Amino acid sequence: MKKPTFNNGDVEADVIVVGSGVVGALVANQLVAAGHSVVMLEAGPRLKRSEVVQNWRNASFERRLGSDFQGPYPQSPHATAPLYFPANDYVALTGPDASSFRQGFIKAVGGTTWHWAASCWRHLPVDFKMKSAYGVGRDWPIAYADIESYYCRAEEALGVSGPNDPQRQSPRERSRPYVADMIPWGHGDSTFAEVVNPHGYNLVPIPQGRTIQPWNERPACCGNNNCQPICPIGAMYNGIHTVDAAEKKGAVVLEEAVVYRIDTDAQNTVTAVHWYDRDRVSHKATGRQFVIACNALETPRLLLLAANEQNPTGIANGSDQVGRNMMDHSGFHCSFIADRPIWLGRGPAQSSCMVGPRDGSFRADYSANKIILNNISRVPVATQQALALGLVGDALDAEIRRRAVYGVDLSISLEPLPDPTNRLTLSTSRVDGLGLACPDIHYSLGDYARKGYDKACEQLRHIGSLFNAEEFNITTALNANNHIMGSTIMGSDPRDSVVDENCRAHDHANLWLPGGSAMVSASVVNSTLTMAALGLKTADAIERAL
Amino acid sequence: MRAAALVLLAAAWALCVPLAHADDAVERGRYLATAGDCMACHTRPTDGKAYAGGYAIASPMGQIWASNITPSVKFGIGSYSEADFERAVRQGIRKDGARLYPAMPYTAYAKLSEQDIHDLYAYFMAEVKPVDEVSPSTDLPFPFNMRFSMAGWNLLFLDDAPFVAEPAKDAQWNRGAYLVEGLEHCGSCHTPRGLLMQEKSSQALAGGSLGLWYAPNITSDPVSGIGAWTDQEITQYLKTGKVSGKAQAGGGMAEAITHSLSKLTDEDIASIVTYLRTVPPVADAGMTRSASSWPLREGGATTAGEARLRGTSLPLDDGQVVYDGSCASCHGSRGEGSADQYYPSLTHNSTVGAATPQNLLATILSGVDREVAGEHVLMPHFSTGSYVQPLTDTEIANVATYVRQQFGPGDSVSVDDVKRARAGGPAPLLMTLTTYGLPVAAVLFIGLMYWLWRRRAARRKRGL
Repeated sequence: MKKPTFNNGDVEADVIVVGSGVVGALVANQLVAAGHSVVMLEAGPRLKRSEVVQNWRNASFERRLGSDFQGPYPQSPHATAPLYFPANDYVALTGPDASSFRQGFIKAVGGTTWHWAASCWRHLPVDFKMKSAYGVGRDWPIAYADIESYYCRAEEALGVSGPNDPQRQSPRERSRPYVADMIPWGHGDSTFAEVVNPHGYNLVPIPQGRTIQPWNERPACCGNNNCQPICPIGAMYNGIHTVDAAEKKGAVVLEEAVVYRIDTDAQNTVTAVHWYDRDRVSHKATGRQFVIACNALETPRLLLLAANEQNPTGIANGSDQVGRNMMDHSGFHCSFIADRPIWLGRGPAQSSCMVGPRDGSFRADYSANKIILNNISRVPVATQQALALGLVGDALDAEIRRRAVYGVDLSISLEPLPDPTNRLTLSTSRVDGLGLACPDIHYSLGDYARKGYDKACEQLRHIGSLFNAEEFNITTALNANNHIMGSTIMGSDPRDSVVDENCRAHDHANLWLPGGSAMVSASVVNSTLTMAALGLKTADAIERAL
Repeated sequence: MRAAALVLLAAAWALCVPLAHADDAVERGRYLATAGDCMACHTRPTDGKAYAGGYAIASPMGQIWASNITPSVKFGIGSYSEADFERAVRQGIRKDGARLYPAMPYTAYAKLSEQDIHDLYAYFMAEVKPVDEVSPSTDLPFPFNMRFSMAGWNLLFLDDAPFVAEPAKDAQWNRGAYLVEGLEHCGSCHTPRGLLMQEKSSQALAGGSLGLWYAPNITSDPVSGIGAWTDQEITQYLKTGKVSGKAQAGGGMAEAITHSLSKLTDEDIASIVTYLRTVPPVADAGMTRSASSWPLREGGATTAGEARLRGTSLPLDDGQVVYDGSCASCHGSRGEGSADQYYPSLTHNSTVGAATPQNLLATILSGVDREVAGEHVLMPHFSTGSYVQPLTDTEIANVATYVRQQFGPGDSVSVDDVKRARAGGPAPLLMTLTTYGLPVAAVLFIGLMYWLWRRRAARRKRGL
């Protein structure tokens, strides 16, 4: 086993990976398994699962109701992540839809999959050629067929349960079955499918990174229903599981190590990255191959922060596309009281989803959507509503019960198009705990997704009518879905893209930027599995390069 | 046409008969290998090839590696004759004459009938795939590396007479005795061992420590043993490893259930139950209540449930905080388990309520892994490398104390207890002696062996 070598606080290894989330960890795990020495530099601290569990259980009613999934996570004073209860100003947002881009992500060993829903969707084949199929957005330089085997490997790495019945798959183009068959549906999922599927909404099981039988060392999901902010028993895939696997093979993780500088030589190959440790002492990591996988917000921030003499507008930024094309599945919610018991809140937080509106020729005109039957327990919301009615005693109990049983919440995701003006830049006025510039982001949803919102509202009103909905409500303010994409966009032309089909920076032969930042189209589905697949594709390419 | 078919059928039938006989021996041997649980030790878990060895049996003297018992000529038992096989299984002597350590339960297998040995041999030679892989060799520290000393040990402690049925008992009881004392070798774990690691026959099945785990008292004593269990409960436990509100199998017992007991016929399980019912009761000193009888304790220093914790900033290593953060999501904030008991209650739980916290610590440190009829039970461990979260010695001591005080007998668990468990559990006297005075102990050990051997040989000579 090849180990990194340390010298006076500096380190040297074959591969330096910045970021220890699911993507960085998968790359590190594969390369260390192939016999290379690997160092992972993580800005945030190492977490204790039980501490996060305690923080969540101790959270106020207001924070629970507001889904404060950031608050329970301890932060390093030198590696700020967004907070919303109350809001910190780490990310400053501007533009017409600024308020819809309030992203949540975790800076800690293992990354943001500590608090995800574990939804593991694939893009559709057509999602890779939006421009040629529908005349909107951009085409990827790769086709679905080029990434399909990596999707399979990502599903195996994350232990994904999904429907092995092709009729319930989205997409159906698959070369291997899921690791385990779908997580069984609850009463709400089945009831909804019976009602909406005759109308073409196609409610299907969500493929997800958990299993109902133990898998490898992972325990079976027991339906605690608080996947966000934390799975208390480790039954949901977290990046930390892959970090652990990589460490057992000999990879070295340095936590609270904030990378801020990147050195390049005359050929513009990367020779080293520099980091601050928890005492703000600077160190250097030298290596042969460098991977930056810090999510689609922190990766462009680092590339811009690390601008040097040779790359004055930022590392990998010869195209001026670093930080542009920022995307997220801007979303909204629809809630109502149904005419029959739904019983949301049993099993995982997200279990079924309508994919009928996911694709069609309409995508030439307006955004697709997906509608998740949000399976998070309705008890807190029902309680708030019942209290607002002024009820007390048995009447209060009965009303909470009624609303928790009959209440419905749908979570809708839209598809934004890559737009160079949706852009991350460095703040000129705000700095983090280390004095490094904070990110600013300008965000506009765009007419394409705006029109998609209007069309989705028509579908939702129809769905509501199928349940004789009372108190039917659609939110008008859009919310972030924390699926950050596009900021080091992939393409074959170095003039208008940052990375090639293997997420290698056009400008630097040994710099790799895998993950959401490379994604060219957003589709309407959660981005993690595509990010993981891109990570594995990158890992293969690095193996060939080493 | 029809007649011709019948003739053909008859001819085929006739041809099959001699083959069927051979197959019968192989099939019986397959069942016997299951009942003897050869797989649990001789196959490396998760990725091992069947019977290729490579599994380290933790013994107080060090790791004893189970050997390759596939019919590989070079690395396994491919060159063994049936007589060689019998000597190894019933007397613990390899073909090359070297002695096996009694981690191989030959003292129990000595009870096997000639027919069963023959069938086992037929199965291993005909049905087990030869694996040409070497299993690591056992390398115990001095003086235990002197395998010849086992010859003396065998003279003292090996009764190599096959099982003889007790005429006063019925066939079912005798079958149970044969299984419990022989094939299933229950005493290997459940009978306490003496100074020289021999089973103390006077306290058969009265409970013994196996390093990390403790194999509990399964005599018919109603408090210390399983005398108060119903037949149905014992049957269910043996077949599934679980009786809600009573006990769950972990450690070596989970392996025995997974590989062996869950696959026995109903008749054999019934026989085992019948026999266990008659094992003479042995009471554990000072034990006044059965391990599975402890209810939730209200009051005391802390109160179960979440109320004490909310809105406070208790230290993260507080026992109840650890319990709430790492245990309660499955076992319930009041130790009640899940409604369907898929996740067992910690009240009325023989692991939590046992006389000592040994198995509670073993469960926390090594988890539970059991598979019966396609249902896989997995409790993750909380030791180094945990899939959920590794806990520190202090956290484990505090949470174990909390669990013992809320759901069990009420004693405390110290950090030293946890350290000892992490190091492999309480060491037997023999090992302690060798650790603290190795040369002296070695001389004593060898001297004792020699003296006992001479004494026994002399007595034999005199026909005693």
